[in-house]
Amino acid sequence: MKNAKHILRPWAMFACMGLMLPLLHADAPLSEKQIAFFEKRVRPVLVEHCYECHSEGADKLKGGLRVDDSESLRLGGESGPAIVPGDVEQSLLIDAVRYESLEMPPEGKLPNAVIADLIRWVEMGAPDPRVGKPASSPKTAVVDGRSHWAFQPVELRQRPDVKDRSWPLAEADFFILSRLEHEGLTPAEDADRYTWLRRVSFDLTGLPPTADVIRSFQEDTSPQAETIVVDRLLGSRAFGERWARHWLDLVGYADQIGTSNNVFAEHAWRYRDYVINAFNADKPFDRFVREQIAGDLLPYGSAIEQAENLTATGFLVLGDVDIVEADKAKLHVDIIDQQVAKVGKAFLGMTLGCARCHDHKFDPIPQRDYYAMAGFFHSTESIYKTDRGVWSDVTAVGLPETEPQQAARAERAVRHTARLAALNEERTQATARKSALDELLKNENAPEGETASRDELMKERDQLAGRIGTLDRQIVHAEFFAPTVPQAYGVRDVAQPTDMQITIRGNPHILGDVVPRGVLQAASATLPDIPKSESGRLQLADWIANPDNPLTPRVTVNRIWQKLFGEGLARSVDYLGLRGERPSHPALLDHLAAQFMRDGWSQKQLIRSLVLSRAYRMSSRPNERARAADPDNRLLSRMNPRRLDAEALRDALLAVSGQLQQSAGGPALPLEFPENVANIDPKNVNPPSFSLAKWRPEQAFQRTVYLPVIRSRPQPGPAELRNVFDFTQPAQFAGQRPTTAVPTQALFLMNSPVMKQHALALSRRIMQEASDNESRLQVLWLRALNRPITGQEAQEAEVFLTDDGEDGWIELCHAVLASNEFLMRL
Amino acid sequence: MNQTPPPGCGNRRQWLQTTACGFGSMALHSLAARVAQAAGGPLAPRAPHHVARAKRVIFLFMAGGPSQADLFDPKPLIAAKHGQTVLAPVDDSQLRVGVDKFLAMGPAAPVRPRGESGMMITDLMPHLASVADDLCLLRAMSTDNKAHAPAALQFHTGKPAESLPSMGSWVSYGLGTENENLPSFMTIHPPDDVRNYGSSFLPAAHQGTPLTVPKDGRASAIKYLQDPETAAPVQRRRLDLLQRMNQRLLGRVGTDAQMEGMIESFELAFRMQAETPGLVDLSGETRQTLDLYGIGAGPTDRNGRACLLARRLSEAGVRFVQVTVDGWDHHSNIPTLIPKSCAGVDQPIAGLIKDLKRRGLLEETLVLWSGEFGRSQWSQDLSGTSPIEKHGREHQPESFCSWMAGGGVKPGMTYGATDDFGYRPIEGKVHLHDLHATMLHLLGLDHEQLTYRHAGRDFRLTDVFGNVVHNILA
Repeated sequence: MKNAKHILRPWAMFACMGLMLPLLHADAPLSEKQIAFFEKRVRPVLVEHCYECHSEGADKLKGGLRVDDSESLRLGGESGPAIVPGDVEQSLLIDAVRYESLEMPPEGKLPNAVIADLIRWVEMGAPDPRVGKPASSPKTAVVDGRSHWAFQPVELRQRPDVKDRSWPLAEADFFILSRLEHEGLTPAEDADRYTWLRRVSFDLTGLPPTADVIRSFQEDTSPQAETIVVDRLLGSRAFGERWARHWLDLVGYADQIGTSNNVFAEHAWRYRDYVINAFNADKPFDRFVREQIAGDLLPYGSAIEQAENLTATGFLVLGDVDIVEADKAKLHVDIIDQQVAKVGKAFLGMTLGCARCHDHKFDPIPQRDYYAMAGFFHSTESIYKTDRGVWSDVTAVGLPETEPQQAARAERAVRHTARLAALNEERTQATARKSALDELLKNENAPEGETASRDELMKERDQLAGRIGTLDRQIVHAEFFAPTVPQAYGVRDVAQPTDMQITIRGNPHILGDVVPRGVLQAASATLPDIPKSESGRLQLADWIANPDNPLTPRVTVNRIWQKLFGEGLARSVDYLGLRGERPSHPALLDHLAAQFMRDGWSQKQLIRSLVLSRAYRMSSRPNERARAADPDNRLLSRMNPRRLDAEALRDALLAVSGQLQQSAGGPALPLEFPENVANIDPKNVNPPSFSLAKWRPEQAFQRTVYLPVIRSRPQPGPAELRNVFDFTQPAQFAGQRPTTAVPTQALFLMNSPVMKQHALALSRRIMQEASDNESRLQVLWLRALNRPITGQEAQEAEVFLTDDGEDGWIELCHAVLASNEFLMRL
Repeated sequence: MNQTPPPGCGNRRQWLQTTACGFGSMALHSLAARVAQAAGGPLAPRAPHHVARAKRVIFLFMAGGPSQADLFDPKPLIAAKHGQTVLAPVDDSQLRVGVDKFLAMGPAAPVRPRGESGMMITDLMPHLASVADDLCLLRAMSTDNKAHAPAALQFHTGKPAESLPSMGSWVSYGLGTENENLPSFMTIHPPDDVRNYGSSFLPAAHQGTPLTVPKDGRASAIKYLQDPETAAPVQRRRLDLLQRMNQRLLGRVGTDAQMEGMIESFELAFRMQAETPGLVDLSGETRQTLDLYGIGAGPTDRNGRACLLARRLSEAGVRFVQVTVDGWDHHSNIPTLIPKSCAGVDQPIAGLIKDLKRRGLLEETLVLWSGEFGRSQWSQDLSGTSPIEKHGREHQPESFCSWMAGGGVKPGMTYGATDDFGYRPIEGKVHLHDLHATMLHLLGLDHEQLTYRHAGRDFRLTDVFGNVVHNILA
């Protein structure tokens, strides 16, 4: 058993700083005896057992470690220095050949005598006559890496000139058209107005336009018609419901904590509602950043503002937290890892996780940068150990209430007390009556004084026993969910913030250097000073949202572009590093980023300007030249058609069939039903858990963003469609979903009860709304595909209907709802 | 590999656009499949990196963590001290529940040498004991996580968190399919967490298709596979209309790979709908075969059906078939409960080995049996007050037993050993990453070369770990 090591490794520090300080052994000349020992006892062992994987000549260098020159041995690899001259216990090489934490060589343990020689050699100070060129240092990598486009300062770009001055409607159009003209291509013609309206409705709200909206837009021939539509969509609650879901994909949001034992995240919905409201209120994105990383440390002017700030920090803890992990030190570093990875991906477009164990292989992110960032979260409380078994839980923070909220809660408390009293009273009476019956029934003969038969009494007793069981569950449930101060998952600073130590290969029990809190060296903005008593998250947030930080605005506008045009200007939206794809229109990306910051980080303004552009108006049909020259449409000579995502698809099915019901948010899990809750008895060794035995009836008809998100199972009940259409698993943080075409989807569309139910509802609605086939067909097409039916289609549909009679309408509606045109926005 | 469309079909897009009523004939359906493969579809067969010993895998996943102390690897020291406190060499950085006394607990039933190899197997698994000489028992397996959900996720994906491709998806990605009408990765009675059979960033064609063994003829083995309420001709009419609409839209937009993919997915779905019911229908099997698996008899019926179905799918060319059997999480009452768990799997699993062998399939099929971890040699008593007969065992990722059979592993071999407490591996340690590397190696895949570029990084099943265990290769 290996004890936790707390080791200061001086060589690792040199490695990270890239300083080639004279090493000890270089000062003192090696004695002949030392050299002889090395040549006879050490070098052959290294050559025979290690060089294959750990030398300049290795086919593939393992673990970043070379043992074929003295410097490399001391600098070490991904796991830290391989030897510390004179210190056997801290020399990983010795640890490895002893088969302690590492096991080298992998083909079998060396003979004890050989191991003893290696130990003696290290004790002597590891005399080593070999000299060579060590690998390049991380410091140079950082300096070189700064020249990568994503780390360059954002510049406000002059819009380029174009030949066809009549085409552009927005600034962005100049950049697109100029590039097309340069390549000898022409943009696609404008899409028809029906297509544009369907497109912008789905993109901004995730819902199709209603028949009324379509008609009034068609009738409005003024130049402001599009602007009116866009402003109405941006002003609708549905906008936030749509765009919040995009953000939640980057958070790993779910209504469950971890994946073990169905532990409910009963307050998670508050963060989801916070995000919806943030989008609808057009909260400036820099503010959005600060609230989510350091909301608890921000000043506030009202209870509402403070509650929002606190709720926002749910961003940091609503991930896949393995609360049953028995090694709490490991849990601590694992949640930090998640937070670093999430912040890196969501705001910076960088993959930081690699640097947990070693300097990033491709990007200018040394291991120290990871631990510098990790230090902020090391100094932050996100989880705590509960009294149940090995379980931890995510930190919940109490939220301040407004006076009306307090009054409402007081009222709920009164009702709760009354209900609990009534339940207890009923239980007392039922128990008394049951005891009496038990007594009576002890006698073999019919009891005296009772007119009922023995059978009837037994039946009554059994009923009472059942009722008492139900009452017990209701009472425990009511006590558990008694009205309390509202809570949200969030974080707070620890009492004594400290910097973090490097963990060797992520192992919290083998520690390396302490790394002062800090940020990515490759990005140009600087970190403000951190007050001694604080975690520094506020300073981190300021650094992320600093206009001099080029990553945050680029990542953000690139994602918004992707949601509207199908692909990002840089297509790897979550990763703008060296191995990512370079942007197709770098000047446009910078222009948008600069404009975004100039407009006060307003996402709505950016979205508004983009959907009112000419580029957004293009048809998705390519012209022949563009198809041949640019088959992937990197130059944007047309709109990219896209399949609806899982949420838009389900919401559209509900909307089109007239079943959609509005929701104002609130808890996703129906925990108010006692049958959905188990293990709430505090004596239980496992934490409270949920099932979904019973749903609120309205949940089947509410927008998908409001349905529970589960971590450990397929998405349940009305949310099942998520399982089929590429929903982002909540264990992932992803800014873009894949769009797959697999037979499971086709089977779902053909055979699932859900599709049949929607087809039935739609057909009934169509039958009610119009009386003859011709007008019914018009309604169906307008409602589902948001355009008039063509003559050919009408003819074909009539033939289809004649043959099938009554059920024909259900079948026709089913075909339309399963068609690519319904499943896509063009 | 053939990269051209079938003769007379022009290119794939033209073919899709002109076959407006493509559902008319089965001939056209299989043509569509060949077009999809010829066009370099994600499931097109791929050559392995080196000569393969196995063509496919059947993974028998014993969810919950079977107790190696009772099944394969009892320790004399523990048996001698049954009921007494042992000085367990545990890792003190971990919290423990209900094991503070560390009472040694001997096996629930005798474990003895079997066959010519003398492999140790419990009396609770007499059928498995009869195929001992076909197995390769790994007694020093090791993994990293102590809780079910993350440990199971690591067993399937290599990592206890996040959402990475399942090993079945990696195999499918590495080798493609052998049967154009079926998915290449199917999972029978799958684990709850969908990530265990998800393809993550690998193309979705490699995701596991969940199956349940139908109890009667009307029930569907694959979700949404059938719509019993709609007559076949009615469905066909609807589909024909739908595909005509899709073709017209494709014509309107001109070209779109996504739309083409969606049209093709309907074709494959239609073929699956036609062919899968026959494949999952066990009624054509002889009574003798059904008996071999224990089908029809109480405790073995469900797993027997699952194992027989696994053989049928594997035989039909599905690269990776998984059968999950729950119920191994014995925290208490292990002397009473583990015999029941054994009774449920013993005959079905031994039947599978025998059946594969007599059909000549075992040589090219790698069978893997494992839980997500094992259990401790000392007892666990959650209540703190019950007698040792009522105790169970705690999870133990530090060491446990798995076995493999067929597919190029040494038959009758027992590999690896743990210390006297059955806790730490002392020789022949096989970490989960090594198991993954070895499995891929047997399939002809180099675990370091089988990578996929995602988010700027090359991912692999074994992350930065894994060594092929050459000692167990035949």
